[in-house]
Amino acid sequence: MKVLAKSPWAVHFNCNSCNGCDIEFLACLTPLYDLERFGVLHIGNPKHADILVVTGSVNHRNARVLENVYIQVPDPKVVVAIGVCTSTGGIFADCYNILGGIDKVIPVDVFVPGCPPRPEAIIDGMVQSLAKLEAKRAGKKVEPARKPTFTFRPPAEAEAPVTPSPAGSAGRGGKE
Amino acid sequence: MGEWLLILLILVPVAFGLLAWAAPGDRSRSWAVTVGALATIALSLVFAVTAKTGESWISLKDLLGGGTEWLAFGLELLIAIVVAVIAVRIRSRLILALALVQIGLAVAEEWFSLRAAPALPGADFRIDSLAIVMVSIVSIIGSIIAIYALGYMKHHQAHAPATAQGSGRFFFVLVGFLGMMNGLVLADNLRWLIIFWEATTLCSFALIGHDGTLESRKNARLALLINSFGGAAMMLGSLLALSGAGVEHLSGITAANRALIPLAFLALAAFTKSAQLPFQSWLLGAMVAPTPVSALLHSATMVKAGVYLILRLAPGFTGSRVMFAIALAGAFSFAAAAALAVGQSNAKKVLAYSTISNLGLIIACAGINTPLAYATAMMLLLFHAIVKALLFLCVGTIEQKIGSRDIEDMGVVMFELPVTTLMALVGMASMLTPPFGMLVCKWMAIESAIASPLILLFLILGSALTLFFWAKWLGRIQTVSYHATLTREKLPLSILSAEYILGGGVVLTAIMGIPLFQILFAPLAVQTYQGIGIPAEQLSILDSVGGLDICLIMLFIALAAVANMLTGRYFKPERVRLPFLSGENVVTDARTFRFRGLKDEPDEAWTTALYLDTVFTEAKITQWTNWLAILVLLTMFALVVGV
Amino acid sequence: MWSDWETFSAFCSGICPALFPAIMVLAAPLVGALLMGIDRKITARIQGRIGPPILQPVYDVLKLFAKEPLFLNRLYIFYAWLYLAFMILVVVLLAMGQDILMVLFVHAFATIALILGAMSVRSPYSRIGASRKIMQMVAYEPILILFVVGIYLSTPHPHSFLASAVMKLNQPLLFTLPLLLPAYFAAVVIKMEKSPFDVSSGHHAHQELVRGVTIEYSGPFLALIEIAHFYEVFILFFIMAMFWSTNLWIGAGIALAGFFAQILVDNASPRLTTFWMIRFMWAGPMLLALCNIVWLYGMGRG
Repeated sequence: MKVLAKSPWAVHFNCNSCNGCDIEFLACLTPLYDLERFGVLHIGNPKHADILVVTGSVNHRNARVLENVYIQVPDPKVVVAIGVCTSTGGIFADCYNILGGIDKVIPVDVFVPGCPPRPEAIIDGMVQSLAKLEAKRAGKKVEPARKPTFTFRPPAEAEAPVTPSPAGSAGRGGKE
Repeated sequence: MGEWLLILLILVPVAFGLLAWAAPGDRSRSWAVTVGALATIALSLVFAVTAKTGESWISLKDLLGGGTEWLAFGLELLIAIVVAVIAVRIRSRLILALALVQIGLAVAEEWFSLRAAPALPGADFRIDSLAIVMVSIVSIIGSIIAIYALGYMKHHQAHAPATAQGSGRFFFVLVGFLGMMNGLVLADNLRWLIIFWEATTLCSFALIGHDGTLESRKNARLALLINSFGGAAMMLGSLLALSGAGVEHLSGITAANRALIPLAFLALAAFTKSAQLPFQSWLLGAMVAPTPVSALLHSATMVKAGVYLILRLAPGFTGSRVMFAIALAGAFSFAAAAALAVGQSNAKKVLAYSTISNLGLIIACAGINTPLAYATAMMLLLFHAIVKALLFLCVGTIEQKIGSRDIEDMGVVMFELPVTTLMALVGMASMLTPPFGMLVCKWMAIESAIASPLILLFLILGSALTLFFWAKWLGRIQTVSYHATLTREKLPLSILSAEYILGGGVVLTAIMGIPLFQILFAPLAVQTYQGIGIPAEQLSILDSVGGLDICLIMLFIALAAVANMLTGRYFKPERVRLPFLSGENVVTDARTFRFRGLKDEPDEAWTTALYLDTVFTEAKITQWTNWLAILVLLTMFALVVGV
Repeated sequence: MWSDWETFSAFCSGICPALFPAIMVLAAPLVGALLMGIDRKITARIQGRIGPPILQPVYDVLKLFAKEPLFLNRLYIFYAWLYLAFMILVVVLLAMGQDILMVLFVHAFATIALILGAMSVRSPYSRIGASRKIMQMVAYEPILILFVVGIYLSTPHPHSFLASAVMKLNQPLLFTLPLLLPAYFAAVVIKMEKSPFDVSSGHHAHQELVRGVTIEYSGPFLALIEIAHFYEVFILFFIMAMFWSTNLWIGAGIALAGFFAQILVDNASPRLTTFWMIRFMWAGPMLLALCNIVWLYGMGRG
């Protein structure tokens, strides 16, 4: 019997997300989407969890924390990364402290794209992760997920010096 | 044979105490104390084994010839005069007044007994099952504590203030105390009872004041004051018994007629000795003394004297309203002292309040005055003596090691003192969990209190509060983590052996509790209450104790233990995780409770148990409960006069 | 069919003395799990959700057994086993008709085992949870003891503490203990960890204590605690059914009514502080229980 897929408990870890994805994840638990009908419980504690739901672009300060939380989730476990920040750093990618994707810290099983993703997308990602969870329990080798390519910035562009355009500087308001 | 053993039981500890005092060095003193303690244990065992069934009476007159009355009178006066001299030396007018009252009462009593020619019938000492049980408790547990004190005092004297007395005098009083206590529980003549009663007061005064600091002198004076008050009450009671009812023996008070007024005064004396509310302050102050003293006062001697007296008197007064008042006072102390213990984080103070609370329970059981309650009281007395001795010894060792007696500081003891902590755990667990005797006792106490709702209410509230303060302490000291290594502590042989023996005793009484009850205490209670009808309900409870329940509990604990051992197979180092600290653990920390806080500096994750000190404020509660307790005592006297 | 317990247990004992306790021990967790499932379903419906399947608690436990066992130390696992063992023992003792006061003490010790397990690990959340659990016990334990006293007084002379004596009553307990039913109900709300008293280990997500006393248990060990909780749910409502012991169906009706009522209370109330809980319990339900006991003494049943 697929016991793991029938009662996946999720712990949600926010490593400096803007809270957009977090609110969308919480929306999944509301009456409109009701994730609990699949047995999903939102647990605050990694030791009880099966799914580690991560939002936000991990940085140097909280990479250690993310890793620690991951270690405390008992096997078999899957990681669902929500939002573009988790794959590349998203709009924070240029900040001095961003690692550029949580897969640099822990293996990710499902990336859910979007900024923020819609609850339907998140639920879809959770359901996909359940298949991987059962596969892991059965002892099959599970490849880490590939990053969503269309949000991936080419390295050359990322390294290029950022030159503020006149329009951009107006948008930054009061910097000059 | 029995009579000489009795004399030896009183004199041998005193003699070896004197030897210890006279001993020139530490080594010879250790020998004197050890041999004395072992001799006392051996004597009490021989005494218990060779005693005849039923009661036997012993008069000093038959042994020593005439003049024993004058000996008793002389000793009585001597002790009162010593108290007076001490009162002058410590400049306490109140104690001096009490001592003078005692001298006056002693003279008056002598005058009355001289007038009552021919001499009143009765023996000086009585040997029966209650006395034998008490002698065994006093001699065995007291001696173990004396042996423990050898190791403890070596450390203590090295760090003691300059004002402290020498260890010679300390051991003299400590060991001699046991002799006085043995005399107390064997005496039937009120005069001898008073002599030993006052002698224990003096002993406790000397022991509490051992360190000679301002605080210890103050508390020693308080103990002397309150216990002299109790002594005076007792002498007044005995005088009233002599003048009113014409008896001067405990057996006379309980048997011949219903001497209610002396009973009330003797009960008052017992309350002071057992530190029942409102007289609890001296026992709390007594914890400034070195730990073996606290252990001795709380477990085998002193406070048990009061309880013993109530147990001795109770069966003679079934159905009397005074006994109800005594039970009420005891039950009230049980609940109030438990409430007071809740707000305390000082380990010794918690133990002290728990002692007062448990003694209250014993007195409540004795006051309920049915065979079941009586047997429960006896069993409680035994368990409490062993457990309290063990706990005080463990706390003493812990305090010397970690330099604090605060419960919240004891989270580390498992790493530093694993053996002592394990023993302390056994002791604490025995206070609140099955299958240990305390729980069975509490169960029986509630079942026997069912006829008196008010007492029952106090017992129920007290039980809930008791659970509160034990559980949080127990939880604190058993803290362990996988990563830190436990190293067995190196302690002196005397300390370790005392801890092992008492710890073993606790476990043994847990296993043997029910057989002990059925073989020893239940028949004893039935025999004590001979001639008084025992209700069918109680007999059935007496029978049902130890039926299936306890066996099943043992079985299920064993099952859990086996299951736990099987689970151990899955235990692998790589499966050990740090506790949840929101992911911020300091991963390399062996004690596993540090996290990275501000500026990434390691910080300790720290929570304390709830003490609710805004609700359970000691000063506030003490004030209220003292007034209520005084009210209960006044009720007792009002009932005496009303009857 | 069997409308009273005595016939049923006598029927079972006729076949084999251990049969009735064995049936109870096996049936209790299933009933408990089912009740918990219904609880979650109804709560979901009250909140306008579809909710998990009724058997979700069973799936949860099966899932937990499939997880890897993680440890903090060896000691706290023993307490999880003790918690379960004592809960089973309570059911056994009840089925055998043993002394109810002893049953109560064993039940209390099961909870103490959980508390001690939570306190044996160096985890601040778990410790705060344990402290609050102790407070919960202080709040409801007197009521439960008073309840037992009430049962004792309700049995005919000579009074008896035996559970079997309750089954032999010829009038329902509710007639003699009308005020104790609401008091007991308040105690059940605490024991079920329901709002407004879910202070030590709430079932709902994102409580401030993460998960309180059970935080450090994971995988199979959490499953042990869940199973013990199933037993506890069964015990609580079994005892509630004893209020009408002369007819099993009416008793079960009372228990079910109590069950639905606590779901309503849970969904309609916020979580309150520990102090508030103690104050409320000692002032309200305990007073009710006391009045009932005093009334019984007044009727000359003492």
